[in-house]
Amino acid sequence: MKTFTRVLALALLTALPWTACSEGPKAPAHKVIILGIDGLDPRLLQQYADEGVLPHFARLMADGDFSPLQTTAPPLSPVAWSTFITGMDPGGHGIFDFLRRDPKSLIPEFAMARTSAPEWKISLGSWAIPLESGSIEGLRQGRAFWELLEERGIPATVFRMPVNFPPVQAGRALSGMGTPDIQGTSGTFSFYTDVPPPNADNISGGKVHEVRVGANKVSAQLVGPANTFREIRSDGADADDFSNPPMTIDFQVYLDPEHPVAKLVLPDQELVLQEGEWSDWIRVEFEALPYLVGVSATARFYLQQVRPTFKLYVSPLQINPEEPVMPISHPGDWSQQLTQRLGYFYTQELAEDTKAFSAGIFNGQEFWKQSQIVYQEQRRALEAMLSEYREGLLFFYFSSVDQGCHMLWRYLDPHHPGYVEDAQLAGAIRKLYQQMDEAVGRVLEVADSETTVVIMSDHGFGPFKRGVNLNSWLADQGYARLHDPTLRDGYPLFGNVDWESTRAYAVGLNGLYVNLRGRERFGIVSPGQEYDQLLDQLESDLLALRDPVTDEAPIATVLRTRRDFEGRHLEEAPDLIIGYNWGYRSSWESPLGEFPRRVLVDNLDAWSGDHSIDPRLVPGVLLSNRRITLDSPALYDLTVAILDEYGIEKLPEMLGSDCLQ
Amino acid sequence: MFGSRIKLDKNLLAKVKKYSEIAGYSSVEEFITHALEKELAKLEDAGSEEEIKKRLKGLGYIS
Repeated sequence: MKTFTRVLALALLTALPWTACSEGPKAPAHKVIILGIDGLDPRLLQQYADEGVLPHFARLMADGDFSPLQTTAPPLSPVAWSTFITGMDPGGHGIFDFLRRDPKSLIPEFAMARTSAPEWKISLGSWAIPLESGSIEGLRQGRAFWELLEERGIPATVFRMPVNFPPVQAGRALSGMGTPDIQGTSGTFSFYTDVPPPNADNISGGKVHEVRVGANKVSAQLVGPANTFREIRSDGADADDFSNPPMTIDFQVYLDPEHPVAKLVLPDQELVLQEGEWSDWIRVEFEALPYLVGVSATARFYLQQVRPTFKLYVSPLQINPEEPVMPISHPGDWSQQLTQRLGYFYTQELAEDTKAFSAGIFNGQEFWKQSQIVYQEQRRALEAMLSEYREGLLFFYFSSVDQGCHMLWRYLDPHHPGYVEDAQLAGAIRKLYQQMDEAVGRVLEVADSETTVVIMSDHGFGPFKRGVNLNSWLADQGYARLHDPTLRDGYPLFGNVDWESTRAYAVGLNGLYVNLRGRERFGIVSPGQEYDQLLDQLESDLLALRDPVTDEAPIATVLRTRRDFEGRHLEEAPDLIIGYNWGYRSSWESPLGEFPRRVLVDNLDAWSGDHSIDPRLVPGVLLSNRRITLDSPALYDLTVAILDEYGIEKLPEMLGSDCLQ
Repeated sequence: MFGSRIKLDKNLLAKVKKYSEIAGYSSVEEFITHALEKELAKLEDAGSEEEIKKRLKGLGYIS
């Protein structure tokens, strides 16, 4: 009863501003529903629609309109969604890749948001008490289109829009891509086992914890974020060198002596799992300052195997939406209201655990199961948003097609170097499209004749068969110089680069930078003629590259940002954007500044589909129940079209034109 | 304490004095030394590479 009263009070409070502020009856705002389906590809969509397995998409194609949607250069989600949000190209919104580099440190860093720890604190023994809080700064520039709607009193709900962390202060919004886990990473899983796999020390995006099984019992620790309230002297370091130890939570696992079952005992809670079973969300509390400051997180446990080898997977620790330690929603308490409605849910940016699959911790079936958990959560959230939707804008984002195409492409394509025959997973991408079709059907059911419905994606998809070590190519061609050319592997972050003899370097998936005097820390190329000549030479050499195995050109196009882009934020742009050819992509090592020996390598990773290539090869999708009025609409045209639905003029810096009737 | 003299703006010096007391430093010199060391460490910090790699490597697109 008490809970009911509280929910009722909250509902009344939420309703109050709308009634209190209105002056007499007001007509509801025009309804626009946008489903943003990351990575939805126009060719696959047409293929599956032609096969007759997408009835709702097919209906929308027949009764409404369908077109490929021009994506951005490079066609990466943070770049493309930022263009949709702002109506500007990367020169305007300043996001050119997942990664960027600080020209002074020459260290790669995240392009979407920057976090900083508190600078000033008082030390009391091993405790360090901050005098200020840390900060999180979104790096996308420009105004989000729903800010313009809200200014005119049009309510907007924006669910998991990428590159909206921290969320802009408008509408109701839950942040999506760009939102970290509790450790501040894109997602770091934990794996507890008594027999660590051979790659245990080299797993990307996860941590293997070796445990001992004794008397059918395992004792282990959940490892949380660094405790910035504590400082301990680093081992063997200088007298003044301190570090922050991580916060931890002890837990035990009791193994049934006969059956493949285990009991997990965490502080204040116990759960029993069978082998192969996932737990529901478990809330855990890390203690930073005893009795004063804590960090709340949530996790799901997957008991992979009890015997003969003990294997327990724990999801990346999520920001608890009920008590978020970082700003993941606007208003700040909306994530709490969502938790009351939906239960706990994944809050990290892309929750499908691609890293666990790539590392071999998950097999294909386990990845599918985990990614379906993510999808079902998102589908339930869509249902909740649709059931309360009355007016204005509703944007809802799905990640499952994008993440599924990255990880399951090789099951589709017998010519892929990483092809694996699996009858069930061969149909997995089709299944994901069918799930989206069901969601589209539900949206069409809710939409009345006055509602504008838009189904759109940021980019399409293709195979990732061969990787290009762009930094290695730069070194081989004499554009970059290594201190010791015999040391090629295992030196990330440009650790072996002789900057005083290096003219160009690559960071991120598609960016190539000139080591420019006055901009880079050790810049040697003079602005002006020398810079222009270097770009001419680079472009010519890059386009001349041939793959001796396939006899194809791995690079299809080279763009010059300062010539081809518009906007006020070109100073941080790469000098060149590399558009790889179909089947190619940047290698795994080059984006973080490594120089492996071979320039072109087969991609055998489970991550076997991609889209970070020539943008002309991977357009996104635009479907609507309205006619599309442009022959070749682009993402920034759609931004203008959404504003036009409400009679709002586009901002002067927006590039597009209205593309919907 | 300083080997050579450093000129500070009057307002900045007043702030430095105020916050060095609040933060419990024994002298203005100690506070300034600590602040400079922290800034230098940020620029020169090769030891944080593991942390940077750890943070970036969760991204699906890179290994």
